[in-house]
Amino acid sequence: LVPVGPGPFSVTTAEAAVARTIEVRGNTRIERETVLSYLTIQPGRNYTSSDIDESLKALFATGLFATVDIQPRGGTVVVTVTENPIINQVAFEGNRKVNDNALRTAIRSQERSMLTRARVESDVQNILEAYRRSGRFDASVEPKIIDRGSNRVDLVFEINEGDKTGVERISFIGNNSFSDGRLRDVIRTRQSGLLSWLRSTDTYDPDRLAADQEALREYYNRKGYADFRVVSATADLDREQNVFFVTFTVDEGERYEFGDVEVVSSIPDIDVNDLYSEVRTRPGNRFDSLRVEQSVEDLTLKASELGYAFAQVRPRALRNYEDNTISLIYYIEEGPRAYVERINIIGNDRTREYVIRREFDLAEGDAFNRVLLDKAERRLNNLDFFDSVRISTARGSAPDRVVINVEVMEKATGAVSFGVGYSTSDGVIGDISVSERNFLGRGQFVKVGVGGGTDTQTYEFQFVEPFFLGRRIALSLDAYRRVQDSNDYRSFNEEQTGGGFGFTLPLREEELRLRLYYNIFQEKNEDPDSKSTGVGNCDTSRLSLAVCDSLGEYMTSLVGYQLIYNTLNRNINPTDGFYASFGQEFAGLGGDSTWIKTTAKGRAFHEVLPDYGIVGAVKLEGGHIHALTDDRLRVPEQFMLGGNLVRGFENRGIGPRDSSTDDAIGGRFYVAGSLEATFPFPILPPEIGLSGSVFADAGSVWDADDDLVNIVNGGPGTVLSNGFDIRSSVGVGIQWQSPFGPLRADFAWPVSKQDEDKTQLFRLSGGTRF
Amino acid sequence: CSSTGDQDDYALNDTPPEVLYNEGLALRSQGNLKAADDKFRELDRLYPYSEYAKRSLVNMAFINYRRGNYTDAITSARRFLTLYPGNEDAAYALYIIGQSYYAQIPDITRDQRVTMEAAQAFSELIQRYPDSEYVADSRTKLIAAEDQLAGKEMQIGRYYLKKRNYIAAINRFKTVVLEYQTTRHVEEALFRLTESYYSLGVVNEAQTAAAVLGHNFPDTAWYKNAYALLNEGGYAPSEDSGSWISRAFDGINVL
Amino acid sequence: CFTTTYTRGHVITESMLSQVQVGSSKEQVQLVLGSPSTVSSLDGEAYYYISQKTSTTAFFEPDVVDQRVVAVYFDEDGYVRDLANYGLEDGQVVDFLNRETRTGGRDYGFLTQIMRGVQNPSLGL
Repeated sequence: LVPVGPGPFSVTTAEAAVARTIEVRGNTRIERETVLSYLTIQPGRNYTSSDIDESLKALFATGLFATVDIQPRGGTVVVTVTENPIINQVAFEGNRKVNDNALRTAIRSQERSMLTRARVESDVQNILEAYRRSGRFDASVEPKIIDRGSNRVDLVFEINEGDKTGVERISFIGNNSFSDGRLRDVIRTRQSGLLSWLRSTDTYDPDRLAADQEALREYYNRKGYADFRVVSATADLDREQNVFFVTFTVDEGERYEFGDVEVVSSIPDIDVNDLYSEVRTRPGNRFDSLRVEQSVEDLTLKASELGYAFAQVRPRALRNYEDNTISLIYYIEEGPRAYVERINIIGNDRTREYVIRREFDLAEGDAFNRVLLDKAERRLNNLDFFDSVRISTARGSAPDRVVINVEVMEKATGAVSFGVGYSTSDGVIGDISVSERNFLGRGQFVKVGVGGGTDTQTYEFQFVEPFFLGRRIALSLDAYRRVQDSNDYRSFNEEQTGGGFGFTLPLREEELRLRLYYNIFQEKNEDPDSKSTGVGNCDTSRLSLAVCDSLGEYMTSLVGYQLIYNTLNRNINPTDGFYASFGQEFAGLGGDSTWIKTTAKGRAFHEVLPDYGIVGAVKLEGGHIHALTDDRLRVPEQFMLGGNLVRGFENRGIGPRDSSTDDAIGGRFYVAGSLEATFPFPILPPEIGLSGSVFADAGSVWDADDDLVNIVNGGPGTVLSNGFDIRSSVGVGIQWQSPFGPLRADFAWPVSKQDEDKTQLFRLSGGTRF
Repeated sequence: CSSTGDQDDYALNDTPPEVLYNEGLALRSQGNLKAADDKFRELDRLYPYSEYAKRSLVNMAFINYRRGNYTDAITSARRFLTLYPGNEDAAYALYIIGQSYYAQIPDITRDQRVTMEAAQAFSELIQRYPDSEYVADSRTKLIAAEDQLAGKEMQIGRYYLKKRNYIAAINRFKTVVLEYQTTRHVEEALFRLTESYYSLGVVNEAQTAAAVLGHNFPDTAWYKNAYALLNEGGYAPSEDSGSWISRAFDGINVL
Repeated sequence: CFTTTYTRGHVITESMLSQVQVGSSKEQVQLVLGSPSTVSSLDGEAYYYISQKTSTTAFFEPDVVDQRVVAVYFDEDGYVRDLANYGLEDGQVVDFLNRETRTGGRDYGFLTQIMRGVQNPSLGL
């Protein structure tokens, strides 16, 4: 048998031969047994050329060898190999922005593994890609191989990073209904500016650019532009200045309104009229793609409620170009009949299985319903326990069976946070708190906090179980202690220690909620100089008789309910939506005070001029407290009103007051309202985070407890401004979303006030949480 | 170029491998595991694929397992298995992999990925190295791992039973009875099947489940509860031999 | 206005049931009724189709309004031998035993969780 052909592979003719022995040559480090274990040729058995081929492939696949050669010589088969050099050390030089281990994970050549030319080339590309990802497009990489003898080498990547390729300018072409500034807020790519050393989003990232196009499309579709199209999104690199120019060319198309809306069902015995109530796209209002999606979801859920679990809703839009209306037909048809076979939950190393499974409205064995899956995914994301939630479906054991795989990537939900704040009324206040949103993986929230300030100390414990008794009832337990020394707004030390529990019950999804709660707390009011203890030995030069009457220790045990309606689009700085709450508290289940307190609050936000980002806000709240038995209310139990609600006045600067000591006594009624418009600072670039506001506040507190009034009038002073007189003020404010937390300064000028009121032109508050 | 200054002495560190290896062993016996691990790691880096590198790999696997950083133990053991599949220590390496996963098994309300890895490693060991000294322990660990997997199915079954989703519950308990017969959970699975079928009203299935429970686990609390449950309604466990439950137990005498 | 009803499990309509009689083959049953909720074998094989209607008011416990089990029993060579129907009234009220078979496995203490949260505080810029 004459060997044929050189080259890394050399193979003999096809017919079978017997290999009496196998000889391995050229291996220095790799053992003979290791090479043999990859061969399909066994000594003493015959082999064919396909065996040789097989063995060659196997040996090459290990990546250990540069060349492999299998030659039959008479009876023995000789396997000659040359091993790849071993990498002794992998080092990076010149990398500052991307650290070593980030680069190490990006490349495939590892220490102690074999060095192959192909792998080094691909590593160079991977490193360049890593730098492009972090916004450095003119980086360059030079691989260096240093021989260390006995077939060992060091691999060094010399990197020249070049400086950051910023985004010089983002411009829009074809947008005539929304300003460039407004659209820049919609997308996430930012222009490089003052704070670029802090930001990472002002670099060019292709994925982010794609996401931006999607964000623009969604924004326009929600504002009535159904035909909106991003014609092109280009990022041209200017090599000399090392910057990008990003240009979005858009075609807005017409602005549409909803035309007539129809629901058509191909499922025979569905009565279409009782589905119309679920449609949110009313003829005449502005076209909004989100309303269409919500209607599809509600229609599907309503259909499955009526027993048609496989109903599928497909909306079709018919454009009417004359009057720019879009009429919608919701087709309801029978979808594929599939059942859920199994729900597998993967990746929950900390969260307990039932915390995830209970967010699904459908169970194994139920009809497969895509809308319920999306709902579950939304709920899981809202839990804020996971970096990512991926729900995928796979075929089950039968054609009409589906397996649902829920893959979660958990994130740290514990937080230790410090806060430092200053406000003209409470001075400097600081607090530290430890909280865990997913306590022991049970989905429970636990928070322990301690706070202190120039004249306050607070201690707080909070626990929330979101699924009490396996139902969507949130049980909350809390305990607190607050010690407030006297200051220039309050002449007595106030100490409150208490706790309570409460249930939050969902009445309509997330919008409407009812809270039932019980609270019990012990209140201790003292004279700072500890001379007076009651009306009898009251030092009226410093303390009002009403205050002296409230000194001492007493217990309040109350039960209450609160109805909350909340459709704010987000809780911090909402720009749209409505919040309203109405609640009553009954004190008198034991304890020393018996009263009934009613409070109502309303807040509405709306983007008045979306083009310039101006958000209008209307706030209104009021309350009434009424002593049930004939004994009198105490000062701390009455309503106080001041700068926090009506700017331009001091803390407790409004309301009934003891003329001799200027102590605020509070009143049994209060009402406060505010009209405010906030706008981003016109000239400065938006990412500095400065915004201004113009506001008008008004409010009053009146009608102190009659007995209290008599007590005060019996003494040296009399109760002044006890009547219902509206105090009002107008002013301007500046808010700064600084990297160290939100800061706010307000200048307010009282317009109508009483002579006894305490005014305060300037008010500063802010705090940081890190 | 400037960078090779410090690496030079490292590369020329030519203490022979056997010296490094013995130092490693000495450190290990003194219990100074961290230093021993570093010593073996350096040997493996300086003399990769040498005879001593092979032995230091096994040592690194053991030491890391003992020190509790299981991921390193598993990577070292896996590298040993890919490089020296035929070596007599291969069984030990596989055993270390199984042990490392086994030590990380979470409670049944968590993802049981690690339990499956442990079960896989131990069953591979039992099947590929039947006469190795680690087979006995692997067998017990395999049973414990499977018991944990059965426990997870039961936990999900009970979750659905409490919410009266009977299809989900019955199918989960059925998986335990059919696929995890050798675990302790099969008793409770049979009892839960009795409860599920009974509350559905399918009494003959409930009776069969209870009868099989009584036949195979007569003196367990579960059987007493099953018997009591059926008795309330005036029924008694009567085995209907055709039912899948009894057929599933025919061949195997579980006790 | 706050009650929502859910149809759970298999969807069985009268028209589907009428197409399944004694003597029809297993494939026919699967074609008409779909694959069964659960399978068991009573001398031959039995397909169980379980359906349930529950109504939930706001936050109260959902109560089962209607429950149906359709049992299709097959003879040895796979033809329908008998059909049975179990309604809500056949169901027995069972309060399920809450004893569980003990299982092991590591559980996370409170502190390890909090400390893990501290390791990567994020400024969230």
